[in-house]
Amino acid sequence: MGPRILLVDDEQEFVQTLAERLQMRDMDSYAVFDGPTALAQVQSHPPRILIIDLKMPGMDGIQVLKQVKQTHPGIQVIILTGHGSEQDKILCMHLGAFAYFQKPVDIDQLVTAIKQGYETALSNDQKTATCDRHPRTGSRQP
Amino acid sequence: MILLHRLKPAFWDLPDTAGSHSGLNLKRKWKLIVLVTAILSLSPLVIMTLVDFNLTRRTIETETNTGMLTSLNTIAAVMSASLAEKPPGTGAKTLWDTAFSHLNTGRNNDLFLMDNTGRLLTPSFYYETSGSRTILDPGLFTGSDGIVHIQASDGTPLLAGYARITGTPLMLVQLRQADWLRDLWFKPRLKLLWFLCASIGFILLSIMGMATFLVGRIHTSERQRIEALHHEEHANRLASIGRLASGVAHEINNPLDIINQKTGLIIDLLTLGKQDQPDQRLLPLAEDVLETVKRCGTITRQLLDFARHMEPSVEPVDMEEVISQVLALLETDARQRNITIQVPPVPEIPGFACDRSSLIQIFLNLAENAITAMEKNGILTIGVFNEKTGLVTITVSDTGKGISPEDLPKIFEPFYTSRTDRWGAGLGLAITYGLIREMGGDIRVKSTVGKGTSFTLTLPVKAPRPAAADGTLHLPGSEMTVPANPVDDDTWGDRYAKP
Repeated sequence: MGPRILLVDDEQEFVQTLAERLQMRDMDSYAVFDGPTALAQVQSHPPRILIIDLKMPGMDGIQVLKQVKQTHPGIQVIILTGHGSEQDKILCMHLGAFAYFQKPVDIDQLVTAIKQGYETALSNDQKTATCDRHPRTGSRQP
Repeated sequence: MILLHRLKPAFWDLPDTAGSHSGLNLKRKWKLIVLVTAILSLSPLVIMTLVDFNLTRRTIETETNTGMLTSLNTIAAVMSASLAEKPPGTGAKTLWDTAFSHLNTGRNNDLFLMDNTGRLLTPSFYYETSGSRTILDPGLFTGSDGIVHIQASDGTPLLAGYARITGTPLMLVQLRQADWLRDLWFKPRLKLLWFLCASIGFILLSIMGMATFLVGRIHTSERQRIEALHHEEHANRLASIGRLASGVAHEINNPLDIINQKTGLIIDLLTLGKQDQPDQRLLPLAEDVLETVKRCGTITRQLLDFARHMEPSVEPVDMEEVISQVLALLETDARQRNITIQVPPVPEIPGFACDRSSLIQIFLNLAENAITAMEKNGILTIGVFNEKTGLVTITVSDTGKGISPEDLPKIFEPFYTSRTDRWGAGLGLAITYGLIREMGGDIRVKSTVGKGTSFTLTLPVKAPRPAAADGTLHLPGSEMTVPANPVDDDTWGDRYAKP
């Protein structure tokens, strides 16, 4: 299996289908449907890549992004939203998101972004491994 | 006729219906102004001229009459003195023949002697000296002297001045035609009349000129006001359509991606999965669905572009460079269609600053439309003028098929398109309009069917801060508010999270 990917979106049909498609492409992906569950998952089984929607009931994608970046800066976050504007994109990139996609998304583009994110995460790991003796939780590959 | 047509003010031919010009009946207004002002200014003039006319006539009359009487009295006094030495009758005749006969000249100076029975002693122009017949009624002449109106035997009205010769029964009479005075009066009267007519003409002309100017100004400002109202209404309508469009686009994107992913999964199952004998038609069908989803995605993205409310980055822009960039993008298309692109020398525009990408987008949209309108063979002209201070004027003209007058008001509305192929979503000009308004500019269009269309843009040299001047940005279709100028992550994220 490839990198571990967590997908967060309140559109269950969408996110499950996407997870299934990623799994068919040899990626260890699983889906959750809201922000708090996603954060709990991040704590217990930190993924490599986190794909989140911006507009979700309760906790929105920006909050999830902020919290994940605080606790697990090594996780590469990809935003996938149907509501985004240019302003949202700038904001998310500013908050540390790795990529930003507007729905409807092309699966190949998404897969390319995931692979790039995975490579970035790996090179970050090597840097932290050489510079830092205490790598943070979730930033190393299990 | 042509001159009259040229002099005719613009408002003259306006229809008088209430709706057409917000109820202003300018023609009637003009007539009323001219009438009232003419009456007010001309009546004193006419009245004063009449009074003066009468006064002068009376003065001249009195003066002439007094003059006549004085001379008559003088002559009478002379005659009286002469006749005192000789008896009247033959004496008077002799005196007349020797001294006064040559005075008895003609129509307006008929001088003769008459005795108290009305018999004429000397020859007269109007009356024959016929023995003892009474020709003039002596009862007419009362007092020692005076002037009376009489009628000659042929009915000519006459003015008769008379003076009695003291010491004799004789009377000296002078006859003049009554209209003699009128003849005398004719020339000054003519002068006065001319002067009056000229003044009236001059005053009327200036009143009409002034009324035309004033009503013309009313007409112009009224038209500008209505145009501004229309423009505002149009902008408001576009803005609300924009909000609706972005809301719809956002809501459609989610279900659209479900279709996208499900269809993608079908394709994945067909290609990646180990299906034994899939129907050969399944894969192309699923790919068609994906293609259609992509098209929908393009439309929603264009809708979002149209409704875009983001802060453009204002930077110094070299107009010539922008135009050459745009032309580079259009070159191939234009060459294929055999279209000539003309760009007259672009003037230097010191300090021109705007959102560069918006400007490129505007040029691209207008130029693409122009090329589409020409289909094959034509001239696309992009002109830049910096004639008014603080404003840049850009014209994009084509020699294409033109836009009909009915369609002209609709072209800036979203989803209006003349293109029949499936890729014309009808958002190009709506986006262009939105961008220009955001830049603080304006766009106008002139078009003649069959001859071509010309768009005229006016942009401020210094672009104003866009709509979000209070530092916040209201995103359409969501309740989120974000600051336009971020300072640091925390305030940004917090504000974003808690609207």
